[in-house]
Parts: sequence; C-alpha cells; structure tokens
Amino acid sequence: MQNLRVAVDVGGTFTDICIMDETTGKIRIEKTASSVDPIDGIMSGVEKAEIDLSKVALFSHGTTVATNALITRRLPRAAMVCTQGFRDVIEIRRANKEDLWDTYKDVVPPYIPRRDRMTVPERVNAAGEIVTPLDEDAAREVARILKRRGVAAVAVCFMNAFMNGANEKRMKEILQEAMPDIPVSTSSEVLPEIFEHERFSTTVANAVLSPVVVDYTRRLGERLTADGYTRDLLLLHTGGGVMTPKSVEDFSARLAGSGIAAGAIASRHIAMLCGYRNSIGLDMGGTSTDVSLAYHGQSRVTKDWFIEYGYPIRFSSIEVLTIGAGGGSLAWTDEAGSLRNGPQSAGANPGPACYGNGNTEPTNTDANVVLGRLGTSLAGGKITLDPKLAEGAVDKIASSFDLERHAAANAIIQVANANMSDAVRLISISRGYDPRDFALVAFGGAGALHGAAIAKELSIPAVIVPPNPGVTSALGCLLVDMQHDFSESFIAGATTCDPAEIEAAFVRMEKEALERLTHEGVAQDDIVLQRSVDMMYQGQWRSLAVDAPSPVADMAPLVEAFHSEHKREYNFRRDETPVSLYRLNLKATGIVPKADLEIHEPTGARPEPKTRRLVWFEGDAPSDTPIYERDDLPAGFELTGPAIIEQFDSTTVVPPGTKMEVDKYLNIIIRIEAAA
Amino acid sequence: MSDQTLDPVTFEVLKNSFITSVDQMAEQILRTCYSFVMYNRDFSSALHDAEGNSAAQGNQDIAVHVGTLHFTCKAVIEAFKGDMHPGDVYCTNDPYAGGTHFSDVRLIRPIFHEGKVIAFSQSNGHWSDLGGSVPGSFDVTARDMFREAVRITPIRLFHKGRFCADVANMIAANTRDPASIIGDIHSQAQATQVCEREILRLVDKYGVDTVTNGLSSVQDYVERAVRQRISDLPDGVWETQDFIDQDPAAGEGMIPIKVKMTIKGDRVTYDFTGSHPTIGSIYNSAFGATFSAVAAGMKTFFPDLPLNSGFYRVFDIVAPEGSIVDAKWPVAVTGFLMPFEKIMNAIYEMWSQIIPERAIACAFNLEYLLTGGQDARTPEKPIFMFYDWLPGGWGGRNGKDGSNMTTACFGTGLMAQPVEGQERANPILTTRFEAETDSAGPGKWRGGVGVRKVSTMLDSANTVISYICDRERAVVWGIEGGLPSMPHGLTLTRAGKEPEWLGATFSDVPIGPGDEFDRPTAGGGGFGDPLERDPEKVLEDVIDDYVSVERAAKDYGVIVIPVDPEICEYRLDLEATKAEREKIRAARLDWFRKPPEDVAEDYRNGKIDMLDAVRRHAVILDWETGELLPNSTAQFREMFEKRTAAAWA
Repeated sequence: MQNLRVAVDVGGTFTDICIMDETTGKIRIEKTASSVDPIDGIMSGVEKAEIDLSKVALFSHGTTVATNALITRRLPRAAMVCTQGFRDVIEIRRANKEDLWDTYKDVVPPYIPRRDRMTVPERVNAAGEIVTPLDEDAAREVARILKRRGVAAVAVCFMNAFMNGANEKRMKEILQEAMPDIPVSTSSEVLPEIFEHERFSTTVANAVLSPVVVDYTRRLGERLTADGYTRDLLLLHTGGGVMTPKSVEDFSARLAGSGIAAGAIASRHIAMLCGYRNSIGLDMGGTSTDVSLAYHGQSRVTKDWFIEYGYPIRFSSIEVLTIGAGGGSLAWTDEAGSLRNGPQSAGANPGPACYGNGNTEPTNTDANVVLGRLGTSLAGGKITLDPKLAEGAVDKIASSFDLERHAAANAIIQVANANMSDAVRLISISRGYDPRDFALVAFGGAGALHGAAIAKELSIPAVIVPPNPGVTSALGCLLVDMQHDFSESFIAGATTCDPAEIEAAFVRMEKEALERLTHEGVAQDDIVLQRSVDMMYQGQWRSLAVDAPSPVADMAPLVEAFHSEHKREYNFRRDETPVSLYRLNLKATGIVPKADLEIHEPTGARPEPKTRRLVWFEGDAPSDTPIYERDDLPAGFELTGPAIIEQFDSTTVVPPGTKMEVDKYLNIIIRIEAAA
Repeated sequence: MSDQTLDPVTFEVLKNSFITSVDQMAEQILRTCYSFVMYNRDFSSALHDAEGNSAAQGNQDIAVHVGTLHFTCKAVIEAFKGDMHPGDVYCTNDPYAGGTHFSDVRLIRPIFHEGKVIAFSQSNGHWSDLGGSVPGSFDVTARDMFREAVRITPIRLFHKGRFCADVANMIAANTRDPASIIGDIHSQAQATQVCEREILRLVDKYGVDTVTNGLSSVQDYVERAVRQRISDLPDGVWETQDFIDQDPAAGEGMIPIKVKMTIKGDRVTYDFTGSHPTIGSIYNSAFGATFSAVAAGMKTFFPDLPLNSGFYRVFDIVAPEGSIVDAKWPVAVTGFLMPFEKIMNAIYEMWSQIIPERAIACAFNLEYLLTGGQDARTPEKPIFMFYDWLPGGWGGRNGKDGSNMTTACFGTGLMAQPVEGQERANPILTTRFEAETDSAGPGKWRGGVGVRKVSTMLDSANTVISYICDRERAVVWGIEGGLPSMPHGLTLTRAGKEPEWLGATFSDVPIGPGDEFDRPTAGGGGFGDPLERDPEKVLEDVIDDYVSVERAAKDYGVIVIPVDPEICEYRLDLEATKAEREKIRAARLDWFRKPPEDVAEDYRNGKIDMLDAVRRHAVILDWETGELLPNSTAQFREMFEKRTAAAWA
C-alpha cells in the first residue's frame, strides 16, 4: 500500500524532509545536512528517515538548483539567435539600475554573453505580418556555427514573435536539424507576451536552465526509481504548484525561485485550516525574512519578479517580499548616531555573538538572549548560547545611547520589529488590504520570537505558530497541486472588443492546459481552470487582474469588476473612463488530494512549565516567566502570558496579558488585543 | 534643529516610516499613472515638514528632481498661506520658482492635524505633453517660455476634497493629451493621500509633537552625517569647466559652465562665476535645476545617505544672475538637462580627485528624439507622438570599466522603452538597436559602450522630427589619461537619397514614409592611460565586438590576431603589442599638437575618421563638411591637455 507522502525542501544549510502518513495524518520531520550535489543530501535523508520509497504515493521537491545556477552562473554554454539588429536586447535591458546613486554598483551581466548572441535576417511587424521572411541560408549558417561552438542550449528571440511565431518556429526546426539533442526555447512558446526584453529575458533564463534542471530531475528521478519509487517526481515551481519532469523540459525557468514559494503555500494552508482565509506569512530565518500574503484563500501572485535585478522572469510567481532582517542581523550605530538594524548579518558563521565563534557585534539573537526571551540551549541542546557574550555585544549599543543593558536590547528588537512591520505594510496596506482582517503565520527559526510584537504593531488580531515552525517550508511542498499558468497578450478596448475572440483565446489556452495536465496523469475530474483578465484604464500602464467567467459572453460584468478592484487596491475609480484589456491568463490546476493533518483531541492536561526565568518584555522590570516545552502542550491548552514556549527548532514568545491556545492541529494561536 | 531629542527607537522607526510612506506613494504612481514618461520612472515623491523642507524623498526618485521639491513646496505655501484646508491639493510646474521644466508637474497636499498643517506630501511627475509649439513640449528653437508650454504657477486642484474640474480642464485643454492629463492629476492626488494616511497613522500612535519633531530630527540627522564626512576631508579648492556645444544664436564656440568648489571645514561652496550668460535656445537652467544638479552630483559620492533638506544645508551655491545656470523668466529652460548633466559631470570630476575610490570619467549625454504627426497605417490617421530616449555608456572608473548601455546620469532609474511597444503605437519600424562597436572612450579602464538605433518611418503624414541632444562638439571626455568617446549626432537618409548629417540639435524637420533616422549614443570617457590596459581585457572586448580589431591597435596599441572568429578564437600578439604601444607613446603628443587645419584636411580626404580626429588629435570639426571649428577645438584641446595629456607620463 502506498500511504506515504514525502516532501523535500533543500536549503543552503539543511535538507528538510517531511513525511506524512496518509492513513493517520501524522507528520514526521527529518533534517539532514545539505550536500554539494543536493541529490546526495536528499538520498541520505531518505535513508536516515528510513523511508520505504515503494510505499510512497507522492514525492515532491522544492529545489534551489535553478536559482543557484543562475546566481553563480554555473551554466552550460548557451546561445541566443535574434532578429538582425537586436542582438543586445538582453544586455540593454531597460537600461536602468537598481542602486540609483552608487556608480560603482553594476547590474550583473546577462546570462548569455554578446559573443554567443547571433542574428539572422527576419522581421515581423507590430501587426504580426512577416515583413522580412526568415533567411534560411543565414539560419543554417548560424546553426552550423553554434554546433561548432558546442552550445548546450539555444534561445530563439525574434521581434514581435508574440504576434506571429512562424519565423521562430522555423528557426527552431533548422537548429534541431543541425543539433537534434540540444534544447531550443522560442520566445513565442515560452511567453507569448509583448515587450521584447521581458519576453527574451524569460526565454533566455529558460534556455540556460534547461540542461541544468533536466539533468538534475533525471538523475534524482533515476535514484528514486532505483530505490523503489514508482510515481512521477513532482517539482515545486514559483507559481505555487508542482509539475512533472516532462514539463520541466519545456519550462525550466519555472523552477527558479522554487523554494521561496513553499513557505507561502504552507502559511496559506495552515491559516485556512485555522479558519483564516486572509493571512500574512512571516518566515524569519537567520539572515532574512520572507513576507507573503493570501487573500480569500489565494496567494498573491506577481509577474514582476526576478532572481537577479534586470533579468525578469515573467512566469506567474507567488509574491514574496524579502527583507534583510533575521536572527543574525546586526544592530549598529551609524556615523550620525542613529540606531540601525541590518541588513548586514552575522550569517550562520560566525553567527550571533553568543555563538562564541568570533563575532562580537550584537545581533537580534543576542538581544533576545539578553532579554531572556531566548534560552541558552537550542536545538535540543545541540547549540549552547553564551549569555555573557550576548551581554557584551549588547552593551556596545547600551553605551552608545547611554541606555541600561535591557533597554538597549529592547531597543534593538523594537527597531527590527519596526523594519519587519514596514515590510508587512508594503505588501498589505499599500496594496489596499487591511491587516485587521488577517492572521499572521509566524514561522522560520525566529518568526515566533517576533510574531506577537509585529502583529500588535499592525493591529493583526491573531498569530498562528505552526507545530514545526523551522520546517514549515517542507510542509508547503506536501500541500501543493499540479499547476500550470498560461497567458496571452490581448490588447483591446473593453467596450469595443469582441467577447467571442476572448472566449476563443481562453478555449485555446484551456485546450493546451488540459493536454498538459492529462499528459502528466491528472484525471479530468481533478482539473480546475481559473481564468483572469488583466485590465487597466485606457492610458494607464499597469494592469490589474480580474477573475473572468467561463464562457465570456458579456463585457459589462468584467468592466464593473475592474472598477471595484481598482477602488479596493488604489482607493479610486473612474467610471467615466474607458477600460482596456491587456492580457488573458489561465491558471490550470490538477488537484492532488490533500491528506488531512492529524487531529488531536483536547486532553484537558495542564502541563507544568519546565522551568521559570526572568524575561524582559516592554518596560524596565523583568517578569518571572514560565517556560514551557512545546511538545508538552496538548490540544485545547490555554494560558495568558507572559510565557515562553520552547521547542527543537523555535521559540514562541507570549507577551504579558496576551492569551494563547493550542488548537486541534497543535498550532499555537496567540490572540492580540487591539491597541487601546 | 529640533528642540528635544527623540529616543533612538522612536527616531529610527519614524525615519524608516517616513521613507516607507514616500515609497508607498511611488508604488501607487507606478501602478496608476497615465504618462508613459512617468511610467518609465521619471517622477519623484516627497514628505515635507510644515515649512516645506524635505524630510524624506523616495528611494527610487529620479536624480534630476532631488533638491527641487522643497522649493516648489515653499512656493505653494507662499501662495496659499492662511487659505489652506484639509482635502486641498495644489499644483505647480514653475521652473522659475524652483521647478525643473514645465513637463514636471508637482501636486502638493497639506496634511492637517486638528486644524493645523503639520506636513505636506508631494508627487512630481513628467506629463506626456503640456502644450507649446511641439508635441511633447520640447521646441529647441524656443527663445522664451511662451513657445514652450503652459506655465502653472501655484493653483488649487482640489478644494476641501472637491475636484476643481474647471481649473483642471483648462490646463488639460491646453495640451495634446487631455485625457491622460486628467488621469495623472487623479493618480498623483491619490498618491499624496497615501502619504497623508501614513503620517496620520503615525500621529495617532506617537502623538503629533513626536511626529513633527521627527520631521525635523531626520533632517538634522542627515545634516550631521554629511558634515561629519565633509569635515573628515582636507580643505581645498578645485576647479573645472564643461561645455554646451554652442549657442545657436551666436557664432561657433562652445558655451562654458565653470565651477569652483571650495571645501572649508564642514561646508562646501560651488561657485559658478565665469559661466556663460543664457543662450538662444532651450538649453538654459533656472536656479532650482542648478541646485538640483549640484545636489545630485554631490550625492553620487555619498550614495548611502538618505536625501532630505539636511543634505542641502551643507552646501552653498554662487550662481551669477542671468547666467546659463540662473536663467530668469521668461528665458526658455525646457532643455535644462543639458547644463544639468554638465554640472553633474563637472562635479564628478572634482570629487573624483577628493574620493579617488569613487572616481568616474564623463558619462554620455542624455538625448531624446521627438517625432509627431499622423499615423497613416489606419484610415482614421490618428495623431501619434513618438518620444524616445536611449541609454549610453558611463565613464570608466578607478579599477573598473564604465557601465555599458545605461540610462543617462540625470536619473538612472529611467527605463529605456521597449521597441515592440513603440512599434505598436507609432508608424515606425526599428531596424537596429544594438551596442555601438568602438563607442567606448579608451582607457586603462574603458568607458561603457553606447548604442546605435536606426528607425524607418512607415505610413505617416504631416510628420516632423526634433532632436534634443548635445556633445557633438563638447565630446564625452576621459580623465587621468583616458580618451574621449565619440561625437553625438543624427543622420537622416531620405527614401532613395544620400545620408544627411543633422547633428545633435534640431527641430521640426519634415520626414515621410521610407525615411530612415540613425543615431548613436556615445560611450563613457576612458579612465587612465589606454596603453596601460591589460591586453587580455582588450582581447575579450574584441571577441564580444565591443572593440574592433582595428581600434584595438589604434586606441590601445594591442594587436589581436583573428584565428577562427567563427568559434571565437582570437590571439594576442604580445611582441607586436609592445612595439605598437612604444610607437604610440612616442608619437601621441605630436598627434595631439598637430595643427588643427591639417587634421581637418586629413578628415576631408578620408585619411582619418571621426574617432581619430577626436581621440588622437583632440580636434572638433563640422562632422558633415569636415570644416574646422577653431574656437571649439581650442576649448576642447585646453581640457584634453588637463584631463588626458597631462597624465601621460
């Protein structure tokens, strides 16, 4: 009987494996050190966890292989074939810089250097007419040269190919005749959307990653099969779903940013189980914090993202805002005497001062130790923190501001919390969402230390701390569906366009979606198709996505939906102004049945705190605070803070006067009183 | 200075919250604006204290607006003092009252607490058109503002929350794009409300006194930080000059902008005495824009400091009245970016000597092209307005080549436009938009490379083209022995005719279907002696075709042998390179001092090309006829001597 589900999240330091027994809903976590070849780490984790792969019904995987390959440029030699005169689109980009003022900070170079960017005579105009046919002799010459150069992948990027992909298609055929085994990505297949840099950049990322990720998924698949796994390996993509190795071959760049989506999915799912359709995920680790948002049970998605600045990947991605604030972030005093926090971090090594590995500057972790919020023995005793070293580091801040030691530690934490609150504000309030309607899911190693304070700052009424905050991302990999995102440019006036044309375009995308999901083994009944249309006021430059019905017969409801979405997001609507359509989107989901998480009945037990210690919250005086062991707390357990709850991979702070309870999934729910 | 000190946590939280509130305005503008110029990031946002001083500006604000927002806020305060109400929004674009040019329109909202103004929020953006004689409101032949655009002195656009449609419509009716203008008014007014909401939230939480104290404390904070850094530098005086190509209303000869910078203790003074009087074109700068150029140029050397009025308190400017850096009403100033970028580069040059680890040679000069008429691809023949700007090369740096193909220094956040979007909206087909080989100024660290864009008119009627550019003569320069890049200028090839050189500045030239216009942007100036460049780096540049085999030899003295170019195989001939470098070293001072008339003669005879004339001989010609421009050459050679030849040991 295949009753196990296994999810693997490979991070820089650890590989987390999450194993769920479908029959009981029980979850077990295995942590193992990541290895140079991530596959070795995965396989040794599988072995360590004593997983019988023949009993596994679903093996899903969030991987940083694609992201790392892009960042380190460990990419095979790849080439680009462009329209004559447009060899440098991906180097010119939009010509802007990320750092506007630092003339010594450059945008990183493109993934394919100029020498390997070839051109051929061909041209399609804005209306999609071929004004210059593909010069096939020149095309064959390019193919011959690229074969001589031994390139491992090719991106074909022609102007206006989103309107007519015929020349690109022919170019691809000619390349494949010369180099049958080399993957070729064309811009009209990868992303049929207007704007050459964004389309080409996505296509190039897809091409250069193809050999890397195809090799990776093939090798991992073979190892798993050899050890008894009988199903398809499923890979988490940035859109928040999974795909099979078959789809990875054509859409490799969807795996870029794969790992980041997992935390957002888990956060959304846990909040839904707790009855919150609106939630904000706060995943705080050692060096950074990822913030995500789900509204009405859907994660916010964006097409405006990149792995490296200047090189957009225009596939739908779960929107995650990353800021440089983590447990290891350094507190410092700048030249004008202001107290700063991050973005510099002590990292994992040397780490916070209290690790005793040579760093003597104060970090958030040191401040939490000084305040007594964090104990001195972590990870079940594997890591011991030295409070004297933490105090010495925090005293540097105390002396520059003439503060008492604990006041200084508090100041450090308050600045860190304010920075994280600002990030949450950017993704919520400034997008028209009211945090009072949300729950905050606090996870990652440090999320639960700060969650209650941030929620209070933002008037978020509830904080949810999942049972295993440190491995929540791996859980996210377990909770996904098969998912593909399609889009097509559709530029027209909302009142002048023909709804039948829109319907036809949707039907076309849906046909492709069904084919792809069926090919991946999804049953017809498990397929859900969600349409949306990107719209804007005529003359605007950015669009808003509005859900679209099936079939599209009448434009009036769509236009009204756009007006109200514009009002929600930007606080104004212009009913008298014509509305334009920009793009049609289709999200195709193949539902993977979710196993239920284990439900725990209240036992009525009142576990005793394992110890007590002095903990500083707000104010000068410490509170004598009970310290609980998380594993001791049964469903239905309630208390009123102050309390500290410690567990293997995390510590939860319950501030004085704040109520918390443990729910049937063993989540901790902290109820935040509205600020007076 | 604020009267009491905030505790460190409150201060840091307020400082960051102020910036976040301004960035939220910017985010909203990006998502709701109508002007494509704004959409491509030509806009800025600010939060001011009750006196109009800037407390915070956006992280991604365009450089060219920094240091002007407090002037326009103060102008609005002056105009509406005693008559401000919650829900009001004011508007101005007046360059003579601290603005930049008419296209940059500022909307300003007073933020009230219990009946008292405690702050202002401001959104400033470049509108697509403000009337005047030319689409896009850039008529290079204008001598005064009456041909340029609508001047908006401070007006009220919202009164107690009610939209003043009468006033807004009157402004919109004077432009070519009324629907977008009304749209942008709403977009900007709403953005200022986003900031108001955040400030009132802070007031709710911390109390009004703490927040207003914060607004002044953040300025004091920046001022302290800058003063601290300035006082750590040695006192001294630095001087330089840069040039505008010409005064079209006067004879040949470049127009000097002189800057003398004095550092004394913790203050800096920029003295423009000796700069040329205003000229007979739109390339003049009013005081606000000059102030901004100084702030932006100096800020480049303190990239990590936040921008607000505290920064502006650290320097003084002496600008002779009526000079090209202090134009008064009604002198035309729409092309203020030309003096602006000269000032910025002059400041780069002086600060490069003070902070050598941030040194940088001259960047290419901003250029923009306007084509307008009727799009005859459809029977309705709608009006089109093609407004295009290109990236170019930035100067070589100390230990690093310059940035390739990057937006001009007046604002590195400005985005180049996608050709596919342009072709959809305009009857124009672009046939080339690529890096320009050999455009980079040679140096030990070469400049970044520029681009070339070639476009052909499709079916169109009643179409004219204008070009706003500079440095056709005041060619982008190198420092520390580095060489200049190349002259700017547009070439027009009418259907079936020979190419014509139209140069870097012209207006209202009629064009029609099949006509092709071709313009390069310069690379950046070189940094350091090109004969000291690592030959391996030259080899890599040749493989990527940033540098040709021919110019590798001429400019760098590096001999590259193509072995099998098809598979990128090239080889260095190090022996020959050594000999070539010796030869150039022995001859180059003579080349530079060769009589300019002889150089012009060689150019006309085809013995040398434009790059030889500029890089080897420092001679400026009429690039079409080859006629010598003696005054411009003398000026160019004087600076070449100082910046380049003097460093050749």
